[in-house]
Amino acid sequence: MTFNANDLLGVLPAIILSIGALLLLMSEVFLSTTRAAAQAPASPGERVAQTATAPEISSTQPDRRYQAWLAAGVAALGLWAALSQLGDPAISLFNGAAMSDGFGRVVAATVCGALLISCFVAFGYLEWLRATRGEFYALTLFSAAGMCLLAQATDLIVIFVSLEVMSLALYALCAYLRRGKRPAEAAFKYFILGSFASAIFLYGAALGFGATGSTRLADIAAGVRLAATGGGPGGSAGLLFASVALLTAGFAFKVAAVPFHMWVPDVYDGAPAPVTGFMAAGVKAAAFAVLVRILVSGFGDPSSSIGPHGWQQIIVWLAALTMFFGNLLAVPQRSVKRMLAYSSIAHAGYLLVAVAAMGNAPSRPDATQGLLFYLASYGATVIGAFGVVALIERKFALAGTGDDLSSWAGLSERHPALAAAMSLFMLSLAGVPPTAGFMAKLTVFRSAIEAGLAPLAIFGVLTSVAGLYYYLRVVVYVYMVPEGRADSVPGGRVLSASIALASCALIVLWMGIMPGSFSAMIQSASGSFGR
Amino acid sequence: MEAVLFYIFAIGVVVAGAQVVLRRNPIYGAVSLVACFFFLAGIYVLLSAHLIAILQVMVYAGAVMVLFVFVIMLLNLKEEELGEMHVTTMKGIGLAAVLVLVGFIAWKALTPVQFARDMAVNEQIHGFGGVKAVGNVLYRSSVLPFEVTSLLLLVAVVSAVVIAKGKI
Repeated sequence: MTFNANDLLGVLPAIILSIGALLLLMSEVFLSTTRAAAQAPASPGERVAQTATAPEISSTQPDRRYQAWLAAGVAALGLWAALSQLGDPAISLFNGAAMSDGFGRVVAATVCGALLISCFVAFGYLEWLRATRGEFYALTLFSAAGMCLLAQATDLIVIFVSLEVMSLALYALCAYLRRGKRPAEAAFKYFILGSFASAIFLYGAALGFGATGSTRLADIAAGVRLAATGGGPGGSAGLLFASVALLTAGFAFKVAAVPFHMWVPDVYDGAPAPVTGFMAAGVKAAAFAVLVRILVSGFGDPSSSIGPHGWQQIIVWLAALTMFFGNLLAVPQRSVKRMLAYSSIAHAGYLLVAVAAMGNAPSRPDATQGLLFYLASYGATVIGAFGVVALIERKFALAGTGDDLSSWAGLSERHPALAAAMSLFMLSLAGVPPTAGFMAKLTVFRSAIEAGLAPLAIFGVLTSVAGLYYYLRVVVYVYMVPEGRADSVPGGRVLSASIALASCALIVLWMGIMPGSFSAMIQSASGSFGR
Repeated sequence: MEAVLFYIFAIGVVVAGAQVVLRRNPIYGAVSLVACFFFLAGIYVLLSAHLIAILQVMVYAGAVMVLFVFVIMLLNLKEEELGEMHVTTMKGIGLAAVLVLVGFIAWKALTPVQFARDMAVNEQIHGFGGVKAVGNVLYRSSVLPFEVTSLLLLVAVVSAVVIAKGKI
């Protein structure tokens, strides 16, 4: 018995995204030949006239606008596939190599949603810079496919391979706009440090395999139980502790937790803004999903003797450090992208609080729901925020002058809607009541208190108060500081970006005002780690 | 007999691996790496993973090393570009960390860690390590990672093209 149609149906979102990416790559082949043939009869005079009217468009550049819409359509199809399976019972796929349960489906839906909105953000940005290529959307689709597989994987080998699919595509996307120096630098840093993190993860996986004789998380859980009762092979408790510590370190890098956060500001700053938004939302969702799966399904036995308090203690310290340093380092940043990068570190800390709360079995369903709610709300918010940044940035992307706060001054007079959207996203990131960010923080901290981690929850609330300062500073610049530079007007082609920003804002408000309806949607996921 | 061979291979791997890091001239480092791979292949044979041993020699010591040597040739570093040997505090800390780690592992190794699977038993029962056994694992229980790996290779190719082609 190898596999059947049910197995393939279980990983449907990833399959749809991969096929979409292949279609995009294939379409590129036909595109070039047909355009070349069509242009051959054009007389030299016409060509001069063409270049005179549109000096920036090189005449051999084919029209690639369909690609964004195709990618968005594929993402929507993936979203539909993930959502349509939401209520189905959980099934194990490929002899336990993967799992199709509520948790994985919600994360896959979050990833596909993030991809869908990112396509709209990227469309205007790339067209403005005349940088649309089939590879861009193909790589984002591949990366999203890797994320969906990560969310469903229950085998350390599958986790590693999907992690690399996701990461490799993102390394290339960071370096996509190579006109400046910074994208290359960002991609190189990300690649070197990311490979290092993958190696650490592999080391942990190898130790886990050595201790339990299997890479399946279910078998590892059995090995952990055996070691807890002292019945396992000699020395396996120590091996398992080393294994879980190394696996956690590998994923702490991916989710940008302190002290594995050094790459984040440079990479978020150097990558094109639409990519950064997708990276922040998608990688966080996928990496947290798989971290939770490894820790809870693999090492989550309450009676486990791994360390004094199991893996929970590691996560609690990581969370505290991440929340503290993330918020602290964000304060002096003047570049909005760098500020958002540090804010992404801080948010990783809040998400780690939810992971820590999942260590206790009674609070696990609530913590699961809190984590998923947080991932979805953070995704919508951060893509929206980077969407606005993309509009501001694309004017300066070529000059490489970046997005200093001064270029945001007086935005409310020129573009009141844009200013309002940015303020909404900032408030949501800060966790101010009518927005999704508030509800997300509330559910996460509540589950932490349920799990008996009240000090951590209080620390989290305090750090998020400190976070208000740097989020509101952007709002102050947008609304209250008079315009300094007259040239910082976002240009044309804003329709698709408007669609993206409007949908992000709607999601943020919807999740903030009616959190119950979203919670009801992800109800099936909360029992995924019930036991 | 097996223990003697293991120690020969193990010392070879460690010495060659250290040479890769310590040599100033990259081409010496690359050659040391080839030696390291060969010794590692010997250890694989001792673990009765014959297919992996062959693949190690063919893929790593063969194909990958040729690539490395080509890159070194293309970079064509001059003697002065390699720079002098510097002793810095960071290197000292790194060396101390390595020694502590090695000492810790050696200390742990004195109390033998028993792994969950006994390789000799596996070999007798399942024909472990042969082409047939690896193929069975690859196309049956590990079919999902196998398929996703093909996706990974495609992504790697597309990524390389995106990075290598003209500036966008």
